[in-house]
Amino acid sequence: MNHFEFKGSLKTVLLAGILIGVLCLGWTWMIDDHNHTRFWSNFLHNSVFFTGISFTAAFFIAVCITAYAGWHTIFKRVWEAISAFLMPGILLMAIIGLGVYFHWHHLYHWSDTAILDPSNTADFDKVLYGKSSFLNKNWYLGGTIIIVGLWIFFANKLRLLSVLEDNFEDSHFSTHRTMRKYAAIFLPIAGFSSAAIIWQWVMSVDSHWYSTLFAWYATASWFVSMIALTILILIYLKGKGYFHQVKRDHIHDLGKFLFAFSVFWTYLWFSQFMLIWYGNVGEETIYFKTRYDHYPVLFFANIFINFAIPFLVLMRNDAKYKFGSVGIVAIIVLLGHWMDFFLMLKPGIYETAMHAAPAGEAMGEHGHEVAHAAEHVSNFVSGFTMPGLLELGTFLGFLAFFLFVFFTFLSKAPLTPKNDPYLDESLHHHV
Amino acid sequence: MSVHVSPIREPLVTGHKTYHQITEDLVSPTEKMPNLSWVIGFIISLTLLTFGLFCIFWTIWVGIGTWDLNRTIGWGWDITNFVWWIGIGHAGTLISAILLLFRQKWRTGVNRAAEAMTIFAVICAAIFPGIHVGRAWVVFYFFPYPNTRGPIWPNFNSPLLWDVFAISTYFTVSLLFWYTGLVPDFATVRDRAKGLRNKIYNTLSFGWKGSAKHWQRWESLSLVLAGLATPLVLSVHTIVSFDFATSVIPGWHTTIFPPYFVAGAIFSGFAMVLTLMLVTRKVLNLEDYITIEHIESMNKVILLTGTIVGIAYLTELFIAWYSQYPYEQFAFFNRAVGPYWWSYFGMMFCNVITPQLFWKKSWRRNITLTFFLSILINIGMWFERFVIIATTLARDYLPSSWSYYSPTWVEIGIFVGTIGIFFTLYLLFTRVAPVVAIAEIKAILKSSGDQYVGKNATHHDEH
Repeated sequence: MNHFEFKGSLKTVLLAGILIGVLCLGWTWMIDDHNHTRFWSNFLHNSVFFTGISFTAAFFIAVCITAYAGWHTIFKRVWEAISAFLMPGILLMAIIGLGVYFHWHHLYHWSDTAILDPSNTADFDKVLYGKSSFLNKNWYLGGTIIIVGLWIFFANKLRLLSVLEDNFEDSHFSTHRTMRKYAAIFLPIAGFSSAAIIWQWVMSVDSHWYSTLFAWYATASWFVSMIALTILILIYLKGKGYFHQVKRDHIHDLGKFLFAFSVFWTYLWFSQFMLIWYGNVGEETIYFKTRYDHYPVLFFANIFINFAIPFLVLMRNDAKYKFGSVGIVAIIVLLGHWMDFFLMLKPGIYETAMHAAPAGEAMGEHGHEVAHAAEHVSNFVSGFTMPGLLELGTFLGFLAFFLFVFFTFLSKAPLTPKNDPYLDESLHHHV
Repeated sequence: MSVHVSPIREPLVTGHKTYHQITEDLVSPTEKMPNLSWVIGFIISLTLLTFGLFCIFWTIWVGIGTWDLNRTIGWGWDITNFVWWIGIGHAGTLISAILLLFRQKWRTGVNRAAEAMTIFAVICAAIFPGIHVGRAWVVFYFFPYPNTRGPIWPNFNSPLLWDVFAISTYFTVSLLFWYTGLVPDFATVRDRAKGLRNKIYNTLSFGWKGSAKHWQRWESLSLVLAGLATPLVLSVHTIVSFDFATSVIPGWHTTIFPPYFVAGAIFSGFAMVLTLMLVTRKVLNLEDYITIEHIESMNKVILLTGTIVGIAYLTELFIAWYSQYPYEQFAFFNRAVGPYWWSYFGMMFCNVITPQLFWKKSWRRNITLTFFLSILINIGMWFERFVIIATTLARDYLPSSWSYYSPTWVEIGIFVGTIGIFFTLYLLFTRVAPVVAIAEIKAILKSSGDQYVGKNATHHDEH
């Protein structure tokens, strides 16, 4: 069973999932406001989340190669296949970028050209005007394509070399040494570019707000989600009889990563929150003020789900060994970080929609809901204040799409690599 | 024997050492009379230490006015040095704790010395908050305890107080960690000693017998301490960064400070470990234990952390522009082209640009270049703190208060004195304890000794 077969039943389930997602997106479109804010924000939320997971997998492969890590070798194909989602990811994000370009949506306040015109004294926004050499439709689309394109280049290169190594026995491990070069070069590129793209994709929905730590915080969230997904995929595949050499020791190590990086994520969350709270500068506190006042459940659930649960459950050694406990925590944390991105994106987008709503003369039938909510901010707006069923359905759709791409790529190469210099260490991994 | 080691890994102990030779090589420096270079080094260090103590005495006797601090620039070399020393301490905990958790075998060559360095660096650092308060004789006001002064309590909302707790906790755990590692090695020294020396080392080793139970407990204690030390090492420099970032001063109030300070601390700490180890391995003939592989690995960490710090610098610059907040923008403009432009330039050059030389493998393995760069990074990281502290304060909100600051001989003397303290303690340490952890080197011999792995291997076992 060294070759994964992407069989009919699994395909059907995943296609059904994709169908649910499409239906939910369609349904959202139908009941949406004039700008289709809910549709587009759900699209952005899930595209960012899964593209990011894919990016962190490519990044972590590069980290492991550079750090001479050997333990993960027998399941490295899983990460390679996760990183393959960057290709659909660039398309998804390009659709958002085209949307900015052609004003299909109004997710970003800065994309409103009226406020950038100095002659328009009533609405002129000096701050956004100052930022407009970074926050503009050209760079949003161009930057997305260049940066994700770079990620794809490196992810593909590492994947191709890894597959090539299988058929190429060489006592000097020249293929692996070539991979090292690509991996090392990828690290600083990934470090700089992920920050730049997060400012654009995520931070700029709160277009006046800024935080130097934000990009690292969002990346940590992606990374934890990636580890959680890896654990779940490995448990599933083992259940199907694949990966019999993946032992509990490997799951244990992944559990440690899940634990450690959940704590690291919390560290970044706290650092950002504490410093902004303590400094008490209005331009900065507004971010947390909005979330604390209007999203209290999500705000506290975020900490509870993404910190308290993995911290308390995975603290014990044996909990990290057991597939049951690691798996359940992985499911919770994966949903938790999806929700974390919801909380990063939706309040800013909703704010923008509220500003846009009264200005638009030809508001659609349902635009009144948003406009109405603008007057009464405490109102509950499904899909904005809380993820609704449509959001969950969209998430399922994207997850199914992600897994479909993942399994397709997984089936294209043997599950256990050959001729990798660390294969023997990984097969006998025991800590 | 069933050790599975990737053929791509290089050996970490060279010279086909036997267990006995390891003991011999690592214990003998504590048994022989010191050589001339040690004596000269010790005399220089002791002289610097004495001068430093004199300058501290002078500060307390004459008053804090002997420093060039003024109304605008309330923190100068004192807190710069404090942060610099605390940062240097971080590599020890990183090597001993985090690399232990990651099962990195190359840590064994340098962990002992790095941990010792942590402790000495924290001692040097702790001097500065103590004396910079002006009235050093009432420095016990730092500590919260029931008192008859009103009662006056320290301000628990202040990160300066959190620092007191963070650093004292860090010092305690680092000391425990270091000493735990030393226990079996002290026993090894004892086993070779006679008379009073034997008795002293027997006490120091707590009567270690090396039974299976002892080793088992020692292993689990090491892991528990590593688990504790890892969040601690993050917390210490995080809280040091809070000293600045909780304020509303542009250039200080930025959320990236906590992780960026930690990365910078590890960066400077590794530079100092390299500076020390390159000399130590030469003087004590430890080239077989601190190999070129070790140096290369450390240079990779330098390259990594240097680049992280570089990303943080650029992030700060970018967000200062992006924020469109004029004061924030001015703070960074002032750093780069203001009166202290040379310190900003020095920081960028030493911390971001020069480590990039380590992309080249042969340069990572070049000892002379590594030594030179490690010194540059030590200087660069000092500049970083100076840039953050003095440059920012010199141009505050009120242009009428703008000022310039340069240290007096007293301030320079205290800094030089802490270097003297550091090296005096380090040189003493090399005389009384094995500089490389004997037990840990022995533990990796069969998986990383060059008779077992690598191209000169003579033992080929079958799996």
